[in-house]
Amino acid sequence: MRRIDALDALARLTDRHPVVVTCAATSRELAAVKDSDNHLYLLDAMGLVGSVATGLALSLAPAAPKVVGIEGDGSLLMNPNVLATGGYLAPANLLLVLLDNGVYGSTGALPTYSAKIDLERLAAAAGWTTRTADTVAGMTAAFAELLAVPGPGFLYARIEPGNAQGVAKLLIDPVSITGRFTRWLRETYPAAEVAA
Amino acid sequence: MSYAAAVAEGIWAAGATRVGYVPSVTVAPIIGALVATDGGADGISPRVTPLSREEEAMGVLGAVALTGGLGAVVMQDNGFGNALTALTTFPLAYHLPLLVFANTRGSLGEYNSMIHAISQPVPAILRAVGVPVIELDRRSGAEDWRDTVREAGVLAVMTYRPVVVLGSFWNTDGKVA
Repeated sequence: MRRIDALDALARLTDRHPVVVTCAATSRELAAVKDSDNHLYLLDAMGLVGSVATGLALSLAPAAPKVVGIEGDGSLLMNPNVLATGGYLAPANLLLVLLDNGVYGSTGALPTYSAKIDLERLAAAAGWTTRTADTVAGMTAAFAELLAVPGPGFLYARIEPGNAQGVAKLLIDPVSITGRFTRWLRETYPAAEVAA
Repeated sequence: MSYAAAVAEGIWAAGATRVGYVPSVTVAPIIGALVATDGGADGISPRVTPLSREEEAMGVLGAVALTGGLGAVVMQDNGFGNALTALTTFPLAYHLPLLVFANTRGSLGEYNSMIHAISQPVPAILRAVGVPVIELDRRSGAEDWRDTVREAGVLAVMTYRPVVVLGSFWNTDGKVA
């Protein structure tokens, strides 16, 4: 499964969900297949997807559609604490999708630890309900299963190394991302669904 | 009112909707007061939770503002070394209000021989990256600390950015280290 194919499927699966997505090639490719106001692109903060998604999930009502984080293996390994924190705080409406290609795809394809370290087992040990997939169909089915699970869900998706070619850089002011994302949240979910 | 209780009162008075903390012996009484006033015990309550590291706190609590609330972080100033990239590239860059209260180390009352190496330059580091810093110490009373923390939170909301309050507990009723 190529990352851009996984992201194409995820864009369709998450059109009603707040989505927090990791930086560089992953954000660019998601924006290329579908740029949407429910996408919170983290343009630089590697390792922060799980933290931001957890904070969002805790601040929205548990009944609201799950907050979906889209993370890479290299980024997750920069802040693996998010697994322990998400498992400990355990918001009901959190789903983290890990796209594992085994390399830092945006920085010369240098290897991450994931060839030796089982990131799904790390998540499971921290209390996340996990599923694995290595095809778009498998990922789609696993995503649906995890939506039905109360508590944090972790979808481990094995993807091929390599970035899609010809995808433009995401040269967007982060403040405009905040503006459109928060407006989407307000308009999509009434105040009653915001726990805060 | 103790200084710790004053900080806790100021955080709630600022309108904080969720608080995350990274422990230190100095902030423990603040956490105790926050948790007690939020109906919890033993360091945990519905709106007050521990976090394992400071950069996580910037992500988890910074995200609260996306839903219209205000997140607050209680930590120790030596953790800004851990937090700096997350602080600057998320709440600062995305214009998200965030209230941070941190106790200071490495100055009067310090016993540790190296912590000053990170703690003393913290105000300058934060100001260099554009984060407003308000400093409190023994020269003002607990009520002033409460009001200052509250107003720092208001300032964060008004200006759409993180605001840091640094508190030195030396010669107050609190513990430095």
